[in-house]
Amino acid sequence: MTALDSVSLDDLLDAPSSGSSEDILDEHAKKALRGAILTAVCVPGYQVPFGAREMPVARGWGSGGLQITLAITGDDDTVKVIDQGDDEGVNAVNLRRLICSTTGAEETTEVDEATVIQTRHRIPEDPIGVEQTLGLQVPVPEPLRGVERNMVELARMHAEADYARMWVSLYEDIVRNGVITKSTGYPCLVGGRYVIATTPIPRWDVPRLDHAPFLSLFGAGRERRIYAVPPDTDVEPLTFEDVPFEVEHTDGATCSTCGATDAYLVEIPPLPTSADITRWVCSDAAWCRRQRGDEEVTS
Amino acid sequence: MGYAAARGGRDAITAAEQLVRDERESSSSPWLGIDQLIDRQRLAVDRVMGEGGLWDPHLAGRALQQAEGDSIEAAHLLRSYRATLPRFAYTEATDVDDARLLRRIVPAYRNPPGPQLLGRTTDYTGRLLDRADDDDWRESAEKRAAERDVLRSDAAAQPGGADDEADDTKLGERRFGRLLDVLRGLDLVVDRRRTDDPEPVDITRTATRPPAARSARLAVMARAETGALVNLWYRNVLGPDGYIHEVTLGEVRHAELPVRITHPHTGGTVEIGSVRVTEVEAIEDLDGADEDRERFDVGYGLCFGHNEKKAIAMANLDIACERDRPIDGRASELEQSILMTTDGLDASGFLEHLKLPHYVTFRSMVDRKLAVRAAAGSDEP
Repeated sequence: MTALDSVSLDDLLDAPSSGSSEDILDEHAKKALRGAILTAVCVPGYQVPFGAREMPVARGWGSGGLQITLAITGDDDTVKVIDQGDDEGVNAVNLRRLICSTTGAEETTEVDEATVIQTRHRIPEDPIGVEQTLGLQVPVPEPLRGVERNMVELARMHAEADYARMWVSLYEDIVRNGVITKSTGYPCLVGGRYVIATTPIPRWDVPRLDHAPFLSLFGAGRERRIYAVPPDTDVEPLTFEDVPFEVEHTDGATCSTCGATDAYLVEIPPLPTSADITRWVCSDAAWCRRQRGDEEVTS
Repeated sequence: MGYAAARGGRDAITAAEQLVRDERESSSSPWLGIDQLIDRQRLAVDRVMGEGGLWDPHLAGRALQQAEGDSIEAAHLLRSYRATLPRFAYTEATDVDDARLLRRIVPAYRNPPGPQLLGRTTDYTGRLLDRADDDDWRESAEKRAAERDVLRSDAAAQPGGADDEADDTKLGERRFGRLLDVLRGLDLVVDRRRTDDPEPVDITRTATRPPAARSARLAVMARAETGALVNLWYRNVLGPDGYIHEVTLGEVRHAELPVRITHPHTGGTVEIGSVRVTEVEAIEDLDGADEDRERFDVGYGLCFGHNEKKAIAMANLDIACERDRPIDGRASELEQSILMTTDGLDASGFLEHLKLPHYVTFRSMVDRKLAVRAAAGSDEP
């Protein structure tokens, strides 16, 4: 990864095109981002405000995750980008081409080759190690927005760890629906202190964050917030002693491509007119491919 | 494989980009030059500069050209270009009375101090679609332009003929009083000088959120999407929010404002150019139980380019927000709406992201629907 450079006016005037002329972020922006990232790592789960820059992708399309990746990636890195678990989703392809063409980093679809993994909505099924960093694209960083809209009050609730209304809403959910209906982005207590939105990865992926060996960085560009789950940190889904946390599961669902049952599967519904049954397929395309013993990578 | 529309990789993206470029550029009509956009689509260019937060008519024209006329998209192009540039200096604060007036109206008084200078406006023009033959139109326009050039060279020094942009007159360069000065002389305006916001907040370098300094709020509105501000204003007039009371416009100005910086070596102040701005002062009637009902208050709006709708909405919302500020210092809902929901890039980017695949999250939602159903079934006797 590149060093945390300090850049003076004279440096910039002397070398106006220092680095790549195609850089999306100038060095001042990278420095500010790295500062925010370091703060986020120091205060796990706290949403650190940062002066998000405009990216050449629309806000809501991974501009926060992209800024994190650009701030920590240099030409000695190898980057994997997935959307819905898939390296070949168009937005993943688009972000990967931006990242690699502007940082000079290598690209890969294999988790074990990547130093930086940028992802939308999934954590890869493969193990991620202590040397690797996961950057998650965050649409909505505020876990309490469902119970409170006023941002000043939200700041107070986090500052005082006042999560009472969150607990009440979970209780009311059970009373009304018999289950906790929160699907993705499940609220979790990080390091016993801050509640975060796990943004929106499925519940299937949430246990992967608890005492993970790797660093997870969450970037919300539109809302200008970065937060982190550092390695080996408690990540505890909010639930009650007698209501176990549930991950997505459908009896009998098997990946129709690789046969896996122990992976996050997504549905391929049958046509209304056909007699077919629902088929399932792994959302992590690279993992699925390897289960089939297929080394071929297509794009 | 599922969701074929979102797959296909690099080739599909390149092909889509190619299709956009080809249809835009290979049209059989004459090339749409940037100078044409700047000259003939002035308000569109101004709007893009305002929402893009960058004064550069040429780049804004280029952005509009590239964005096929989509102003939010063009503002995005400008802003992401701007984000690649290092920040060398901040401008000096400029007295807006140093601006060269192009247009100025004062709705509050029949004879205000200074002129009522209509300038370049369609305010009083019937909104009739001109259906003249395009070639005839063009011919007569060229003829009039030639006549005007002759007139200009004949009467270059003659003052007072403020028929167009006051190019031929010194009127715009004089300093005039403001309506506010009159009202202050009559002791009709509350004193709202404050010391808690000495340096303007740079909203491009910090994460602005409520409660914010007034300078941050004004900067957010100056960059906001025009339609969003107009709508927020109207929502407060006719919609459920109702923060806007009874506002009269004190000043509506379109002017050229000098831009000055401190020279990095000499330390002196140097003028490095000018920007056109629209400036509005909105006089608000104070009627609240805890307000000074003997006086008025004033809201302020200023944005790049000629965009009166935006500056008027901004001035109205500024004073509405100020009046709504709760006593315990907590942010009002209006302030949160202004700060968090009026940016065109934020709103349209998030809206458009709904087109991205969401099958991972949707599968999880279906899982919960079935879980609720199962729980309901198990409750039944």
